[in-house]
Amino acid sequence: MHRKKIRTLVLVGGFMAGGFLFGSTASAEGPTAAMLANTCAGCHGTNGVSGGPAMPSIAGFPATYFKAIMKEFKDGTRPSTIMGRLAKGYSDEEIALIADFFAKTKWSSANGHANSKNATVVDTALAAKGKKLATDSKCDKCHEDDGVFQDEDTPRVAGQWLDYLIIKMRDYRNPDMKVPQQKKMETAMEKLSLDDLLAVAHFYASNKK
Amino acid sequence: MSMLNRRTFVKLSGAAALVGLSTTAFSRRGFAADKGRVVVIGGGYGGSIAAKYIRMADPGIEVTLIEQNPNYYSCPMSNWVVAGFRDLEVQKWGYEGLKKHGVKVVHEQATEIDPATKTVTTKGGTKFKYDKLVVGPGVSFKPMEGYDGEALDKMPHAWNAGPQTVLLNKQLQAMRDGDPFIMVAPTDPFRCPPGPYERAGLVAHYLMKNKPKSKVIILDPKDKFSKMGLFTAGWKKLYGYETENSKIEWIPGGQGGKVTKVDAKTMTVYTEMAEFKSSCINVIPPQKANAIAEAAKLTDESGWCPVNFDTFESKIHKDIHVIGDASMATGLPKSGYAANSEAKVAAAAIVALLNGQKPGEPSFVNTCYSMLSPTSAISVAAVYKIVEGKIKEVGGGLSAADASDAVRQQEASYNESWYQSIMADTFS
Repeated sequence: MHRKKIRTLVLVGGFMAGGFLFGSTASAEGPTAAMLANTCAGCHGTNGVSGGPAMPSIAGFPATYFKAIMKEFKDGTRPSTIMGRLAKGYSDEEIALIADFFAKTKWSSANGHANSKNATVVDTALAAKGKKLATDSKCDKCHEDDGVFQDEDTPRVAGQWLDYLIIKMRDYRNPDMKVPQQKKMETAMEKLSLDDLLAVAHFYASNKK
Repeated sequence: MSMLNRRTFVKLSGAAALVGLSTTAFSRRGFAADKGRVVVIGGGYGGSIAAKYIRMADPGIEVTLIEQNPNYYSCPMSNWVVAGFRDLEVQKWGYEGLKKHGVKVVHEQATEIDPATKTVTTKGGTKFKYDKLVVGPGVSFKPMEGYDGEALDKMPHAWNAGPQTVLLNKQLQAMRDGDPFIMVAPTDPFRCPPGPYERAGLVAHYLMKNKPKSKVIILDPKDKFSKMGLFTAGWKKLYGYETENSKIEWIPGGQGGKVTKVDAKTMTVYTEMAEFKSSCINVIPPQKANAIAEAAKLTDESGWCPVNFDTFESKIHKDIHVIGDASMATGLPKSGYAANSEAKVAAAAIVALLNGQKPGEPSFVNTCYSMLSPTSAISVAAVYKIVEGKIKEVGGGLSAADASDAVRQQEASYNESWYQSIMADTFS
């Protein structure tokens, strides 16, 4: 019920944002949203659709989620190799502009990308095991619709690059790189072995929706 | 929420795509260039991006890309080919993707730019009129005694990817075990500042396995280099650097590393104090902006092209924007990522100007990975802005000096993915 309410509100927001989509984004001061966001494409691909299997696609990420993780990169609570360094180069206002830009770009699943030949191939047996594990561990309570769902604190994981998901699962077992998670996710993930986590990664990557 | 939000988006973008298509159709039917004509010289990390992003932002602008080669070979990652663990084919890209954005691609060599009549002429004599010209031609070599003619094949530079890269790899393979791999490093500024040192490490990795009696000797006119602390720490760990059995010996300018001449007939390199002989010598000469930029008088006495940082328009000729390694973007390194970023700034400025608007404020990023070995990498990443007329780093830095092997390995996989993503940004 609660979630439904949020969806309706966001729908209205979506329409409003759409009105500005192709208008001028120039503000009196500072670079435009497109100027800022296009510099991300070197790693995250044109309009946030990554062409590199270890780099996540960020197209269509909800702006609130995007802003939250950029803040974590910036203050160091989210471990990273380079994102922490880059996030420090942007003001909160600039991060908000970048977040709005990517919220309006269109998601495209990795398994349809021309570069998917360079990626780790989804193992269907592992994906099937992962589907069961995801259900048993209640991953689908937040990552609804087999990982398609996203909101202000849940990223879309369906059709994300498998190599990236594998890196993140391995990071979860590495104290230096572990990304802090919400309590319910922490509890669920702690109960799974690394092999289980990798199977879950195969499952979400396999979803072509 | 995402479903609905996305659906809304798809509808809107679909409508926009239709508008875009009809504009393109108009220009193709002869109402060409209703907003203006842009010519781009050079289809590399800079030029291709400028062409694509101008078309993406405004399909009413006609864009012609003049590139002499039918395919592009990426310099980033080509050190892997030199060291023999990557095929040159992985470095090869084509121009079909740009054509899908409505870029007209002409495979001819641009030989002349006339800023007065705003015309570019090719070797074949074809003339192209422009309202705005983007020049991203890369680098040429400055003269170095003994390094001309067939010396380029006997002592390959491998500083433009392609046949030279393969040539150096073949000479490395054929090298006598016990001979040094001699690298002559260039003076600042030059294309890809960490490049020679990445190459040194990867060749050392090859030598450990294949030529156990050989080592790399870097003859360097400089006393320091890009990512120096991270490179030397990595070399210590992997190649015994600064020990008796080191696989890499670096001779800086202060210790006689400056090469004064080379002799390809005797395969000898001369410094002020000594001479070095080997069956495998890699000469990376000092550099300047590509000859076409010099011929068009876009360069100053430094050999590079001075530009206004907010638009990358030449300070010498109006309506000509110089991007990538050829430009003098003081503050930014001469890297592939910087060229990509500069191209987007120039593209946005050109679109604004052709629409009668004032160009906006630029933002730049450079992210540059270097390999220590095939499974270990370091990086530098930063965001840049214009502060008081100068390009300034506003956030960023190097990989942590004490990073774990797992992190170095992760950066190696990000390096490959960076390459795939930036090449998709450039050519699809």
